[in-house]
Amino acid sequence: MSATGSSNPEYVNARVSARRATLFDEEDYRKLLRMSPDEISRYMEESTYQGPINRLGSRFAGVDLIEYALNAGLAETFDELLAWADGRLYEQVARYLRKFDAWNVKTAVRGVYADTDAESIEDDVIRAGELDDDLLDRLVDAESIDAIVDLLEGTLFGEPLAAAYEVYEESGTLVALENAIDRAYYENLFEGVTTAGAGADSAYAEFLQAEIDFRNARNALRLARSGADIDPAEYFIEGGTLFTPEELSALSRNRDQLVERIRESRYGDELTGALDELTEADSLIGFEHALEGALLEHARNAAHAHPMSICPVIAFVLAKEREADNIRAIARGTQAGLDPEEIRAEMVVR
Amino acid sequence: MFDIAPQVASLALQEGTSSGPAITSTGMAALAVGLAGLGAGYAERGIGSAAVGAVAEDEGLFVQALILTVLPETILIFALVAMILA
Repeated sequence: MSATGSSNPEYVNARVSARRATLFDEEDYRKLLRMSPDEISRYMEESTYQGPINRLGSRFAGVDLIEYALNAGLAETFDELLAWADGRLYEQVARYLRKFDAWNVKTAVRGVYADTDAESIEDDVIRAGELDDDLLDRLVDAESIDAIVDLLEGTLFGEPLAAAYEVYEESGTLVALENAIDRAYYENLFEGVTTAGAGADSAYAEFLQAEIDFRNARNALRLARSGADIDPAEYFIEGGTLFTPEELSALSRNRDQLVERIRESRYGDELTGALDELTEADSLIGFEHALEGALLEHARNAAHAHPMSICPVIAFVLAKEREADNIRAIARGTQAGLDPEEIRAEMVVR
Repeated sequence: MFDIAPQVASLALQEGTSSGPAITSTGMAALAVGLAGLGAGYAERGIGSAAVGAVAEDEGLFVQALILTVLPETILIFALVAMILA
């Protein structure tokens, strides 16, 4: 029986499975790797990106066209997800898709901080999520961070941002603001989801914990590597099971211990290969890709175990994002003249 | 609803005195058909909405979707057999 009492999850999952099947696979990527940017956009025109490519084709060309079409395609797909879903499923999906709100707000804040013009900020905005187009336009056009904080008053990010703004004024670094955005997003995500029991909800909660754990681990490793004198506890996101803030700041100073810690955790099995590579080759990129892959795998397993829940939708959202990242990597890589092998290493295909 | 309790009781007693079952075999068979219909309907609710979703994505799936949707109806055939045998 479905969780919402209606038969909506069945409907959504049938559509999502059909969409999953149309995502690019290994074979498609192999073809794309041998193409020029123009050929890639033509190939995309024959796929699910047909709408965006046709709409944007007259205005842009080459890699730009691919970039815009990917962002527009993501937004289109995720809006459709929201249109299909109903009741409790809608709420959970909407909550999850707020990650694009968080992304957009961060983009706007970073843009203002780095004095980027509105047009280039606009390029990076993904119009999925809850904030409407009007508000996004005003965020993009905002002249100061103060104005952005004001615009977001009353939304999810309003209060945390206002509080963080004071810290920002004192310190002059964006860390506080970005943290506030991330925390507001993840706190909102856990509302109404419990880890108790063995049902679909707890599988979803477990997935969210994995996402947060991975994010914390990645932040800690990046900090440990850069050798910057920043306490990772400041970046810490609540809700994971792997670390506490204190542990994380201690572990980030000693990478071997951190690796050991991850190896012994419940993610150890999935990440063994990547952890070995990390210790041997000292390649953080490989490890980050392995984290992405592990998260995809995690979501897919949850989707298999609980088909009538939000899990398949989340698995699809992740897979779709990866697809966009992969195509972007191929397009950018080809344009920069990298050879296919190098680009292949940048992709996460599962 | 408690007002009718005495009548129901006396009805049951009358049935008892005439030594026949409270529900005849035809009545039971009718009940079987009804419950089977209910079960089929419940099963089709999930399959149907999934089928509509699949057809919305790919119209070529219409025939398969239709077949899968009406599959639970087979239980009604058994119910009809029970009806005939009763």
